[in-house]
Amino acid sequence: MNKTITIDPVTRIEGHARVFINLDDTGGLASAGLVVNELRGFEKILTGMDADRMPLVTARICGVCPTAHHLAATNALDNAAGVEPPPAAKLLRELMYMGHLIHSHCLSLFVLQGPDLVLGLDADPAIRNVVGVVQAVPDIAKKALQCRSIGQKINELVGGRGTHPVTSVAGGIAFVLDADRERQLNAWIDEAHGLVLELAPVVKQLLMKMLDSHPAMLKEWVAPAWSVGTVKTDGTIALVNGEIRAVDQGGSLKAQFPTADYDSHMSESAVEFSYMKQVSFVEGDSRHDYRVGPLARLNVSERYGTPLADREREEFIRTMGRPCHANALQPYARLIELLYCTERAKEIMAAPEIHGETRVPVKFSGGRGVGHVEAPRGTLIHDYEIDENGIVRGANLIVATQQNYALINTMIAQAATSHVINRPDDQALLNAVEFGIRCYDPCLSCATHALGAMPLEIVVNRAAKPHVLRRNC
Amino acid sequence: MRGTVPPETQDPVAPGGVIVVCVGNDLVADDAVGYEVFRRLADSPPPPGVTLHYAAVGGIALLDYLTGKEKAMIVVDAVQFGAPTGTIHRLGWDELPDFGAGAISAHFIGLKETIDIGRLLYPERLPSTVMLVGIEGRRFDQTRDAMSPEVAAAIEPAVACIEDYLHTLQQGI
Repeated sequence: MNKTITIDPVTRIEGHARVFINLDDTGGLASAGLVVNELRGFEKILTGMDADRMPLVTARICGVCPTAHHLAATNALDNAAGVEPPPAAKLLRELMYMGHLIHSHCLSLFVLQGPDLVLGLDADPAIRNVVGVVQAVPDIAKKALQCRSIGQKINELVGGRGTHPVTSVAGGIAFVLDADRERQLNAWIDEAHGLVLELAPVVKQLLMKMLDSHPAMLKEWVAPAWSVGTVKTDGTIALVNGEIRAVDQGGSLKAQFPTADYDSHMSESAVEFSYMKQVSFVEGDSRHDYRVGPLARLNVSERYGTPLADREREEFIRTMGRPCHANALQPYARLIELLYCTERAKEIMAAPEIHGETRVPVKFSGGRGVGHVEAPRGTLIHDYEIDENGIVRGANLIVATQQNYALINTMIAQAATSHVINRPDDQALLNAVEFGIRCYDPCLSCATHALGAMPLEIVVNRAAKPHVLRRNC
Repeated sequence: MRGTVPPETQDPVAPGGVIVVCVGNDLVADDAVGYEVFRRLADSPPPPGVTLHYAAVGGIALLDYLTGKEKAMIVVDAVQFGAPTGTIHRLGWDELPDFGAGAISAHFIGLKETIDIGRLLYPERLPSTVMLVGIEGRRFDQTRDAMSPEVAAAIEPAVACIEDYLHTLQQGI
């Protein structure tokens, strides 16, 4: 299919992504990148709403990581009101979040990356999908989907509602753990933990097999960059409450700061080919590209703090090094987090403080509120300006995919160089570009999920003769 | 409000019942149509044996709603099948268009894939009838106040279509 493509953001719809690979006259790579249109209108509609509604409304920004928005919003409201939620509230919010992460990481590893890992990059696109995975390995697929489903149930029970939770509020959480719920949660968590223990070695083996058959992934798909994530004061990983930490490409600590200081370290800028703004880390006069998400979190933190995750972390570092900049290892880091989440959920349920008070009174007297969490895909920041009547007068959201954007574009250039340029127009080779992008698990369709066309195009422009090589829609 | 309660805490579905799941983001222009249909259907008590849910997103989570006791599931959602805006599609699961797979934006697993997975992994849970009532939308990159007039005008006919279908199912035809 030959067709002239003009990259025109005005004509694009939400969720429509386009990868472009521009070659020069000699056939070498001139430029490459991902074009996305993110719905930024949410920041505008938040203005004028009651601050109390932020955890409910922002959760609707995304059907993929609603709980991340829900909790980033309540962290921001706690900050605005100057309150510290009781220990039980913090534990229950974290428990809800562990459920969400179990669901989200299972979805990413098994549903989105499963087809690449189980069926291979050169499988026919007609079967390289989740139905193909289910047909190829039904027992594994059933366990993986069961684990995802349990994560979602934990999220629902504590969050009070399916998909978009409602219980976390400024000052705490509107949830009390009674004996029935405790029994149910313990049963689910034990089951999820058992399933993860069975699934983890299988996923790891599949990933290693993929890396063996595509040596370029560990040699050429390496993008040294800064890493940003969240840690407790002792350097243990934190996903819901902690300080933002940045390390450089060599792993040296460059900054650690409370959420409210993010805007003196992180700077948004526009790129000419896409609506999505990219974010870079500011150090004096320099701007640094950086990575967020599971691999970055492994790079910035000293430990997970749970036995099995820490054991696997040591194995990761022994075999792959740290800091690690091989994008193809993002699924490995995601897998370690999945282990951590089920272990941490068990710890939370065993903590005596979980039965205490869950709310403190809140009053907004006007001012700014900034909060963040580590969303499944990386650091997510909510920043509100709230007036003395509790009305939001301004909002700014920094999402993970924006921060990974520069490195996603680097990834596309690397995958194009190793798998596309000077090779025949082979559909299978283009799968490598998609796989590389999927390692970041980018959230491109944050705001809608309409059935039907959600196209990804890969356009290779060979010296002014554009050629659409892949169109999934 | 029905549909805001997690599935495991809901009333058990009567054997031979029908489950209606309305899907959509109530904050996004044409995507809100599933939510609007849900609100209209929730205005009056559902007919005996019918359970009504609102799910912000569909996909694989739809399988969690099924218990094996239902004879039919109706999914209501905004779609982009390339028809004129506001068109109401009423399709059985085997008539659903196949969009191919592997797209990186596929955080959302389509209804067809969901049912295919369900039939492979949980055949005992799947009802014999799965139907999509899809309302063709156009604006998915704007907020709720920008719902296309054609989509807004399709809400009542879509509700009538579902009520009609529920009636037919109750007659056992």
